[in-house]
Amino acid sequence: MKQRTLSRRTLLRGLGGVAVGLPFLGAMADSARATAFPKRFVVFFTGLGTVRPAWIPTGTETDFTFGPILAPLEPFKKKTLVLEGVDYESAYHGPGDPHQQGIGHALTGTELQEGSLFPYACNPGKMVGWAGGISLDQFLADKLGQTTRFPSLEFGVQVQYANVSARISYRGPGQPVPPEDDPYQAYTRIFSDLGTDPEALARLRAQRKTVLDAVTGDYNRLSTRLGASDRMKVDAHLEAVREIEKRLDAPGVIGGSCNPPVLGAPVEPLENDNYPEIAKTQLDLLAMSLICDLTRVASIQWTTVQTGKVFSWLGQDEPHHTLSHSSDSDTKRQQALIDIGHWHAQQLAYLCQKLDSVPEGDGTVLDNTVILWCSDIAQGNTHARRDVPLLVLGGAGGALRTGRHLKYAGAYHNDLLIAISHAMGVPVTTFGNPLYCNGPLSGLLV
Amino acid sequence: MIHAVRLPWLLGGALAFGAAASLAACSGHIGDPPGEGTEEAPAFQCVGTIPGKSPIRRMTRFEYNNTVRDLLGDDTQPASSFVPEEEAMGFDNQATALGVTQILAEQYMVAAEQIAARAVSDLGALLPCDPATAGEQACATTFIQSFGRRAYRRPLTDDEVARLQDVFSWGRGEEGFSSGIELVLQVMLQSPHFLYRVEFGMPDPVEADVVPLSPHEIASRLSYMLWGSMPDEALFAAAEEGRLGTKDEVASEARRMLEDPRAREAVANFNAQWLGLSHLDNIKKDSSTYPKFYEGIRPLWRAETLAFLEDVIFEGEGDIGSVFTANYSMLNAELASFYGVEGGPATQSFERVELDSTKSSGILTHASVLAATGKPNQTSPVHRGKFVRERLLCQILPPPPNNAAFNAPDIRPDATTRERFAEHSENPACAGCHVKMDPVGFGFEHYDGIGLYRDTDQGLPIDDSGELVDTRGIDGPFEGVVELGQRLAQSEEARQCVATQWFRFAYGRVEGEDDRCSMSEIQKAFEASGFNVKELLVSLTQTDAFRYRRAVVTQAP
Repeated sequence: MKQRTLSRRTLLRGLGGVAVGLPFLGAMADSARATAFPKRFVVFFTGLGTVRPAWIPTGTETDFTFGPILAPLEPFKKKTLVLEGVDYESAYHGPGDPHQQGIGHALTGTELQEGSLFPYACNPGKMVGWAGGISLDQFLADKLGQTTRFPSLEFGVQVQYANVSARISYRGPGQPVPPEDDPYQAYTRIFSDLGTDPEALARLRAQRKTVLDAVTGDYNRLSTRLGASDRMKVDAHLEAVREIEKRLDAPGVIGGSCNPPVLGAPVEPLENDNYPEIAKTQLDLLAMSLICDLTRVASIQWTTVQTGKVFSWLGQDEPHHTLSHSSDSDTKRQQALIDIGHWHAQQLAYLCQKLDSVPEGDGTVLDNTVILWCSDIAQGNTHARRDVPLLVLGGAGGALRTGRHLKYAGAYHNDLLIAISHAMGVPVTTFGNPLYCNGPLSGLLV
Repeated sequence: MIHAVRLPWLLGGALAFGAAASLAACSGHIGDPPGEGTEEAPAFQCVGTIPGKSPIRRMTRFEYNNTVRDLLGDDTQPASSFVPEEEAMGFDNQATALGVTQILAEQYMVAAEQIAARAVSDLGALLPCDPATAGEQACATTFIQSFGRRAYRRPLTDDEVARLQDVFSWGRGEEGFSSGIELVLQVMLQSPHFLYRVEFGMPDPVEADVVPLSPHEIASRLSYMLWGSMPDEALFAAAEEGRLGTKDEVASEARRMLEDPRAREAVANFNAQWLGLSHLDNIKKDSSTYPKFYEGIRPLWRAETLAFLEDVIFEGEGDIGSVFTANYSMLNAELASFYGVEGGPATQSFERVELDSTKSSGILTHASVLAATGKPNQTSPVHRGKFVRERLLCQILPPPPNNAAFNAPDIRPDATTRERFAEHSENPACAGCHVKMDPVGFGFEHYDGIGLYRDTDQGLPIDDSGELVDTRGIDGPFEGVVELGQRLAQSEEARQCVATQWFRFAYGRVEGEDDRCSMSEIQKAFEASGFNVKELLVSLTQTDAFRYRRAVVTQAP
């Protein structure tokens, strides 16, 4: 079939129409991208660990039954890998308290920075800085996200706080990437330009290019005049401006399965009880950003660690963090934690269902995606960073052997990060601190 | 002048260390220098000029909104939807925590486009010249120079003017004069010289590598500290006429600026962060337990505390003691009805209301503080005690041990809050730290989880006796929150804490070793003024940390 580019007008007509399951943007893709379906990576981060007995499946490696927490993922069991016995070993090294280490190491696999920014528990005179390395999502965004409109997208559900305990993503050492908590802002950023008429869009892009050229020049000239630490900060800003400029001409397409979600009336993004509603909208936006190939790397962070969020829609009246500190024998509160885990699994199932409903090649978008569900700690009443709850979902285009429950005896989670990178087509030998790397975690890759 | 000082804030740390031996390391003062902290420091001499660190400072959302308002008369608050600042040490303006990622850079871009479009919709008001008579190029150049001076808060270099002229010419060629001006505005609003406070100091060092800040840099430090915004014309004039060179000249500008309404906004911004009032937006309250609670009351709680502090600082005695002891507040009709105050204001505007002196004690009895530290359906002696320790005494408390179950004890019909929290003092694993919090929090027990006065708890009489331990100078038992307020008002530790918090907020960074002499001067001036907050702000403009910086040492890329 002859490749051709659909006109904006054709695409825009699709806006009001019925969403049709199309193979991945075949007719619209340029020839380079048409050769293979893209792989995508998604981080699904929930804080405060889990309730292990209700998380771990029963049965054998390949014939297992989900416990109450993971039960909502039943339809995707064949596409799931439940990992047991993997440690955030790196998170037992370097500064920080368990929550700070857990969240800061989860995707970076390396020590937090020494610093004077954040006090930490157990040692009140001591302070810690940000995470000490690039996170896996940002690393993959650098490798896979260069042709898409956004190298990555970070969604938050009432993350709201802004400190080391509230960041999973880093561009590099000491460079946290904040998530967007407001679905309306996210929507505007991701989809608004796509509705503009083509002539106006071309004009806008030309103007932006002129302006950003001049701005880039300003940052460049300033950078050379600064001392080391100020220069790092200004250079990060410079890189961000360059990224915007570079992507001005990135394709944006609407049609087929790619339709901007319809938002309801605006809701207050930080109001506790709006949590489920915001979550659904953010998941819709995340799924559609992947389906539309506006990005290939995304994360959704469910509030922050030590969260004061009350899961009132589950009939609860105590904050999640408080509940997480309850003893194993406090059955009422352990049940509340199981309910929270179950609810999160429902949200993950919702995302999977969206991605799985769009055919792509012989499979679905989900089959070309890797979703990593991770947390900061194993459980709240120990704060252990060993045997943490980890789940991988999606097929990475056939690179992962899914449908299994794998048991390890203290494997390093850096090796999981390495294995995921391999699955995504970026075969690194180490990730994070090489001291905690032995190579791709065994048993995951085909 | 040479004098040896051993700073009280260091001394405090050392004392606390001694006292903490029996408290399972549950100690630490925020005033301790970061790092090792609790060891007593050797005597330190204030010799010469020691400026401390001067990291480049990016605008916060608050500062961006104000600056756009003062620069262009644009009061749309475009930065309110930017990603929130990273918070460190309780404040959102700490230089080392504020970076720029792609999402924020995009938000700057979109905001600049929208602001510029609004600005050029009335070219006559924006331009200092008429392009029809002056000529388009000439008028554009005049605009770039005059507007640029305000946007970058200093005169532009010829090179900068030339580059902006190029942008203008491109835009004019595409879509005409107005578009050229619009693009120039977009560039300026995304420039580092607008978004950051870029400082190099004067060329000649006063000693070693210490340089005075340039007059324009001093002007920006003053305006962003005291107004959270750009300099006004008077301040620009002072800079350009060389009237910001001495301490007295800087103090004189600072005093003028404190009389401007913008100072009240900036001080309110500090107060809201200092007291954690932003938490009020997110807390949950159970309306079956608290029938007088409704969503709309939360912003009023915050407004009360900010109006009260503004009154104390700008209208009243201005001393920090009143903040903890005043038996009046600022209420409107709705709040008066909420508190059940008889004969209060009849309208929705805030008025000074005298309160029962046996039941009110400054911010300590404000619903904002009491509700923000309370649970959805009960009070929290722990969090109230923690609030006093951390916010008012600058102490750092560790969180509970990893294995601690810290659910508030379930509410029982037959027990008061104090009785339910008894385990904290009985269980040795908890007592070490909770002895610093709970007995302070018990003093607040006449106030329920939304800050309303109550005579009984579960129908049982309330015992609001409390105790302070491990403080500097105010240890001992007390009866109720009014006595606690009086104790805090007399506390050197609380006063120094306020000065320390202001240091961090004003300078956008945590105090370090090099700041000992500057900090000491600030503390002394605060004391000499009778702990007057406005005078504290003036003293913050008088230090080496404020007026000098280290010369920039660049490195080859």
